[in-house]
Amino acid sequence: MSLFTPELGLVFWMLVVFLILFGILAKYAWPAIVRMLDERADFIDKGVVYAQEAKKDREKAQMDAKALLAEAHEQQLDVLQQTERLKREMIADARKSAENEAQRVRVAANLSIEQAKREAERQLRVQVASLSLQIAEKVMRKDLTSDKSQEEMISKLLNELENKE
Amino acid sequence: MKSYARHILTIFFLLAGASMLLAQDNIVMRVDSLGQEVEESAQAFNPKETIFEHLGDEYGWKIVGRVTLPLPVIVGGEDGSWHVFSSRRLKDGKVYEGFYIARGGNHEGKVVGTDAAGNEYRPYDFSITKNVFSIMISALITLLIVFSLVRFYRKNKYKAPRKGVGSVEMVVEMLYKEVIVSVLGKEARKYAPYLLTLFFFIFISNLMGLVAFFPGGANVMGNMSITLVLAVCTFVVVNVSGTKEYWKEIFWPDVPIALKCPVPLLPIIEIFGVFTKPVALMVRLFANMLGGHLIVLVLISLIFMFSAMGQVVVGVTTIFSILFAVFMNLIHVLIGFIQAYVFMLLSTIFIGLARVKRLSDSQSQN
Repeated sequence: MSLFTPELGLVFWMLVVFLILFGILAKYAWPAIVRMLDERADFIDKGVVYAQEAKKDREKAQMDAKALLAEAHEQQLDVLQQTERLKREMIADARKSAENEAQRVRVAANLSIEQAKREAERQLRVQVASLSLQIAEKVMRKDLTSDKSQEEMISKLLNELENKE
Repeated sequence: MKSYARHILTIFFLLAGASMLLAQDNIVMRVDSLGQEVEESAQAFNPKETIFEHLGDEYGWKIVGRVTLPLPVIVGGEDGSWHVFSSRRLKDGKVYEGFYIARGGNHEGKVVGTDAAGNEYRPYDFSITKNVFSIMISALITLLIVFSLVRFYRKNKYKAPRKGVGSVEMVVEMLYKEVIVSVLGKEARKYAPYLLTLFFFIFISNLMGLVAFFPGGANVMGNMSITLVLAVCTFVVVNVSGTKEYWKEIFWPDVPIALKCPVPLLPIIEIFGVFTKPVALMVRLFANMLGGHLIVLVLISLIFMFSAMGQVVVGVTTIFSILFAVFMNLIHVLIGFIQAYVFMLLSTIFIGLARVKRLSDSQSQN
């Protein structure tokens, strides 16, 4: 039966047709198609990688922005605190210097008052001495004025009196 | 849903119509003998003859009834002269230039000549027969389909095709990525053209064989000559690309000396293996495709075999035969794909086996 026994003509033509078909397809079709498939697969792979990287980058940028913002906030707070501190310091300084000044003025005033008091005391003493002398002169009827030793004695007596007081 | 129903109906009528066309010769015969008794025409139907007429090759291509497409007959006579003429000249047993179609004997249905001594002989027959014409059509369709994809790529870089071209690409990608690359690895590009051509040519021929009217319907892959050529091609590709290691494994395999030295037992088995692989390929494809055609033809023939038993029986047989034939045809679409795939897959694996490298080599590569 011809189905089971190879027929020379059919084998020949089949070989010719198949080889021509193979030749044409192998030269012009399959390499192009296979290359295209590979290239497209690469392209898609690269696209996926690119997208992933882009996503990562975006996330990183967002994180960076957040970090920057937080930092800025912190700095702002710092600056505010610093100003506050400076303000307080300045007020404290001013108060201190004012106090110092007042103290100084007070001390100076005290000093001058003391001096004035001393001067007054001294003058008073002199006057009291002369007054006492005059009194004593009048009492004793004895001219003791301008006798230096007596004056000194009286001053000493007065001092003693004062100290006793 | 509606469109589904329409598609299914279309397929059904296509296949049913195809099956009916197949039986048309016999219908014509019955109409011719309308005046005579039905019994006689039933006796005249010879299922075996009809079936093998449809499965076999023929000069000229019967399209519908008695309309035949004439094809060139090319024969080389005994005296070395070549004759080219139309198959129409041999119709109905006519003799042309000393050649005629044998009606019996060893060369039944083939062009024969008569030599000087008056004996019948078979000339060198390179006629464009129905099968040859059919493989040419299949090859053309393969070219059209494959180049539609190439054209698409040329126009649209990096774009995925849709619809028809997309399905071609899907098949190519499936075969290339899943079979060729996964078996052959780095050498995939070198062998892909042969393997893809093999698949598409077989698949399209199988599908064409299912179309029962003119451009299809020839029993191409169910013919040993055709599958022989394909198997020989694979055999050549496999053995030409065989590495040193491949040949060493055949003639001097790594087995105990006793198995190969005094009596080369394993080498003999291996050498047989080299030939049985392509033979298995050849027979598998041939038998599958022939079987499918045969079943459909037998189912349709049943109608005519039962025609003697009255109208009711014929009616019931017709309905069931057509239903089964349609069912078988649908299965045959699947088989057509599977067989093309298997042929290609096994060719790929055989090539992969022939490209074997020494274990240390392949390890150092990895």
